Amino acid sequence: MVNLILNPVLLIVVPLGLAFSIPLFGLISKKIEKFIPTAALLFNLIVSVILIPKVLIKPINVSLGGFLPPFCINLVAGPVAIIFVALIALVGLLVSIYAWDYIKEGAKEKYHIIYLLLLIGATGVVLTGDIFNLFVFFEILCISSYSLVAYYSDKAGTESAIKYLIQGSVGSAFILIGIGLLYGQFGTLNMADIANQIHSIHSISIFLPLVLLITGFGIEAAIFPLNAWLPDAHSSAPSSISAVLSGIAIEVGLYAVVRIVFTIFGASSLLMFFLYLGVLTLLIGEICAFSQDNIKRMLAYSSIGQIGLIVFALSINTTYGVAGGLFQLVNHTLSKALLFLAVGYMIYRSGSMNISSFEGMGKKMPYTSFAFTIGAFSLVGLPPFIGFPSKFMIVKAALFKHEILFTVLIALVLFATIIEGAYFFRVIQVIYFKGKKDDLKRERAPISALIPLFIFVGLIVFIGVYPKIMTDILNSAASELLNRLDYIKSVIQ
Amino acid sequence: MNFLNDYIYYIGAFSLVFIGLYVLLVKKNLIKVIIGLNILDTGVYLFLVAIGYINNGTAPIFSKPGLNPKNMVDPVPQALVLTSIVIGVAILSLALTLAIRLYKHYGTLNLRKIKEQRW
Amino acid sequence: MRKIISAILLIVIAGGITLSIMEIPFGVNKAKVGEYYINKGREETGATNIVTSVVLDYRGFDTLGEITILFLAALSVAAILSLSRKRNDKKEKIEPASLILYTGCRFLFPILLLVGSYIFIHGHLTPGGGFQGGAIIASAYLLIYLSCPGKRINEKYSKLVESLSGLIFIALGLIGLVIGGEFLFNFLPKGTLGTLFSAGIIPIIYIAIGLKVGSELTGIIDNLIEES
Repeated sequence: MVNLILNPVLLIVVPLGLAFSIPLFGLISKKIEKFIPTAALLFNLIVSVILIPKVLIKPINVSLGGFLPPFCINLVAGPVAIIFVALIALVGLLVSIYAWDYIKEGAKEKYHIIYLLLLIGATGVVLTGDIFNLFVFFEILCISSYSLVAYYSDKAGTESAIKYLIQGSVGSAFILIGIGLLYGQFGTLNMADIANQIHSIHSISIFLPLVLLITGFGIEAAIFPLNAWLPDAHSSAPSSISAVLSGIAIEVGLYAVVRIVFTIFGASSLLMFFLYLGVLTLLIGEICAFSQDNIKRMLAYSSIGQIGLIVFALSINTTYGVAGGLFQLVNHTLSKALLFLAVGYMIYRSGSMNISSFEGMGKKMPYTSFAFTIGAFSLVGLPPFIGFPSKFMIVKAALFKHEILFTVLIALVLFATIIEGAYFFRVIQVIYFKGKKDDLKRERAPISALIPLFIFVGLIVFIGVYPKIMTDILNSAASELLNRLDYIKSVIQ
Repeated sequence: MNFLNDYIYYIGAFSLVFIGLYVLLVKKNLIKVIIGLNILDTGVYLFLVAIGYINNGTAPIFSKPGLNPKNMVDPVPQALVLTSIVIGVAILSLALTLAIRLYKHYGTLNLRKIKEQRW
Repeated sequence: MRKIISAILLIVIAGGITLSIMEIPFGVNKAKVGEYYINKGREETGATNIVTSVVLDYRGFDTLGEITILFLAALSVAAILSLSRKRNDKKEKIEPASLILYTGCRFLFPILLLVGSYIFIHGHLTPGGGFQGGAIIASAYLLIYLSCPGKRINEKYSKLVESLSGLIFIALGLIGLVIGGEFLFNFLPKGTLGTLFSAGIIPIIYIAIGLKVGSELTGIIDNLIEES
């Protein structure tokens, strides 16, 4: 019985069943609808954490339908997948608790269903081992994010949603053409089987599907020329959705790109190009964030910058570099979600999204401002928080290569970090050190918002002080990405 | 000429793809852009189905007892296209809904004028 | 200016795709997975329509994702358009449809429902299946909207049908997990080839999908008609 529950299929199927049954629960009573996503994500979190020790010994392969791998769809729960699933479940759970009281208007029942389906789509993308199944779950993720950006149906939301939708759909069309070209040449849709037949990327018939797939998935991953939709979409969505979009959706898009480049195609020669692209994205993101006055737009540009940093770290083709990139990804998810959640109630109380209207927030909402400060320090990379070991690993990985190029690039990365520190300190200064002294009425955020904020703060401090609990999993994840032959052998035997 | 004869289905499918992309990039009216998106998707589906064709093949359905499996086309791209058409319908309905809301807010469907969000 | 740049970009991409397409000859049998499905499909799944056995048995997980997407689309359309409906409560004067339209649609409606149901019930024997049959059922309801303007479907029943059909699919998969050890294992007897009651769980899933797709597309049309 225990073995039945610990099957990775249930990580997708049980939340999906609960999502289909939310309208039925809604017919009984409208009040319990908002608790069902929380229950589903709690189940996911518990099962994925229990599976972590088993997965580190040997990846779990599940074939659906009772047939053998190239002739059926299979799920591969390896170290990379299980980190992502646990992270998605954790962030999803905390944001769903936040949304109990944050979502007050609009069609609330549908918000919770679409939110749960977004997370199911993200979990499906990371667990699957078949390229068309990856596309289907990726579309679930994208369509739910289009509709949640437009949730409040105001001017800014609808405009951002339509632009996001058009760009995302063009990306999906490119992905389909790429899948078609791959199927036409190799006759199979299983990722390990395709990887087994690709030995070099120098012929045009293999290079072109690679480019099409990277472009298609890269629109969601927000890599440099393809991220025009991000600042609008992340700043017009409700804050709980911005937290999930910045924290989960773009990371999952980046996972898809990484899976294609590292495992399916083994395109190590393309990684030099991604090195430059990563640093370029980082610089553009941080410089644009510096000049913003709208706080959510500032945080959105900061997300672009951080994705650039993660791409740079992953392109340093060593175990240390890839593990550092994954660690920075975990850091960005936790810190950015914390920042957006804190900002959500600050905007609600002060009534506007401009930074200048946050004067005196330090006294009006002390707990929320404290949480914002911790999130900002962690993202920049200050010592007792999780940002410090992750950025340290990236710098060390770049310096270990002993090449002039990497030293120059890492200097640019540190320059971008200084800019990041500057704009975050500017916000903290406005929150704590400005403002009239007489307006000291405290309006705390409700308890359902403070609990997730403090759990995030606790995790950031805990992992920052003991990074060893993450480094084992991250090292096995890095070696799974770098050794594609082991992945192929474990699926096809 | 032989090249044209062999590859005519691929050329047709990709012509639709490029017409759709051109409409998406150039036109100003939102409804025309959505139609362009639909044409792009149709071209991609045609390309996928054309990949699975086998010369002188028929549909993979054993409706009579004596049919030879060697004469049947590949069933997998047809399954892929079934799923993709449904995804295309979902995106189209969402895009049209957003177009309705945009018209209510802005009074126009001209994409060059719907640009309130600046730097 | 914009036209010239986009034309150049498209020509470059077209050149790349042409070079790549030369490697894929047209009409030649190249897929090992496709051959396996055609040769072994009848024994392993019991359906004579191989596309159905691919969609529902070998790649059933994709179909699960697909019905989720349609469920999402119906919800999103309802969620985004829900605000305006509360404001438009005034009754406008509705013109009735002409006599020919009214009579014709009333005549065609039960026939279309029958054709749609036939297509999804026989999905494992003849071309067609749940999605095609569901679309025909939705077009039957569209005829009702055209001929009797002002008539709306009962939303509660439509929501009930949607949720129950989705749950039936997942429940069948979970029973397969418990009995056979893998999700979506085909656990009912496969019967004789070519009869209606064959192919295990495939007809049941297709009936559920047909009803679900029909009610969801009708719900989308209903929401969009309310707006105009």
